[in-house]
Amino acid sequence: MAQKVIRIPTLNDGPHDFARLFGIWSETNDYFEDIRFDFSHCNFLRPNAVAFLGGLARLIQSRWKTVTFDRSTLHHSAVMANLCQNGFAGTFAYPSSGWDGNSIPYREDKALDMNGIMDYLTYNWIGKGWVHVSDRLRDAIAGRMWEIYSNAFEHSGTEIGVFSCGQHYRRQNNLILSAVDFGRGIPANVRFFLRQHVEDALVSKLSGAACLKWAFERGNSTCTGGVARGLGLDLLKEFVRLNQGKLEIYSNDGYAIVDKDGERYENRDFAFEGTVMHITLRCDENLYRFRDEAE
Amino acid sequence: MKLSIKDQIGPRGIIREDGQKIYDAIRGALQNGETVTLDFAGVNQFASPFFNFAIGQLLKDIAEADLRRLLQIEHLNETGRLVVERVIENAAKYHGDKDYRKIVDDILEQQARESG
Repeated sequence: MAQKVIRIPTLNDGPHDFARLFGIWSETNDYFEDIRFDFSHCNFLRPNAVAFLGGLARLIQSRWKTVTFDRSTLHHSAVMANLCQNGFAGTFAYPSSGWDGNSIPYREDKALDMNGIMDYLTYNWIGKGWVHVSDRLRDAIAGRMWEIYSNAFEHSGTEIGVFSCGQHYRRQNNLILSAVDFGRGIPANVRFFLRQHVEDALVSKLSGAACLKWAFERGNSTCTGGVARGLGLDLLKEFVRLNQGKLEIYSNDGYAIVDKDGERYENRDFAFEGTVMHITLRCDENLYRFRDEAE
Repeated sequence: MKLSIKDQIGPRGIIREDGQKIYDAIRGALQNGETVTLDFAGVNQFASPFFNFAIGQLLKDIAEADLRRLLQIEHLNETGRLVVERVIENAAKYHGDKDYRKIVDDILEQQARESG
């Protein structure tokens, strides 16, 4: 049996870390029947890496290959503790049930489970007490975050679902959520949609960044059927800006960032088939009030 | 006609399937010129797919001014109201027959400007 050992490095959430994750994805596309992830060089994993690796494992399994997270290589106790705490270790057959801490559980959704995802966002993510918000505002924020899942399931064509993980970083006072799918990707989806109306030679010239920008504009949607759509990403962007947080999207070769300085779209040298939505929110209570809520 | 949204779909107005249920329940009455009241008491969480299908698609059948006159909304919180307003604005501007050739030309023009 052809076996491939892939070394997982320390993975943060900068562009370089995402490039390494997409490199790992690329390595698994070669023909191997058994893939083993080796953590002996990994000292830290951010939730984007946890969500990505979990989804990648399911992608490998969906291709009738086997995947192993080699526990014997988990030398770094912090990595092991983190993977046990967020439930990732338990999901992948290690005896651990996860526990409450600063992590927001690793989650796999094969289908759009409205109540499951909304409960996760409402009670495990924003409503976990990292930041004191009214129930009304908590519900509003969870509704905005829902748009991530809605977009992933509606547009990506993912066959294995959406994978999420989060973390509260007390020192930076940030709350993170990462959601990953291994579907077509937003630029590919935009090009596919536009090719139905415009000749291929022109549509093929559209860069990943240009496609992402189009998809992010209010009212633009690749959905057909006569019902106006295209508000989800716009509502999400608006919320992130108000919070002075950061929304980053890696999809195919495109990259988008929305933060306090505005929104920017770039083309990247590295690409993968799918989309990562990575949100960083500030847990500053002054940023979490409706206009009519007193200080 | 008055409809309790919570009785129809529960406390979350999130997904398009639930929006479609509401649309199917009220479209006929609105087309007949009846006033319809949607009562959102007890519904606390909202997302755009629900309103796109419940309310936005009514603009295929009814003019915006008539919809605003005939459709009454009660007990909808601030978040829900914001999403409803966006959905109505977006649906009013929506045309199924967009000029996609012009859209692609515009994107390419901008792409060329930014890379040049």
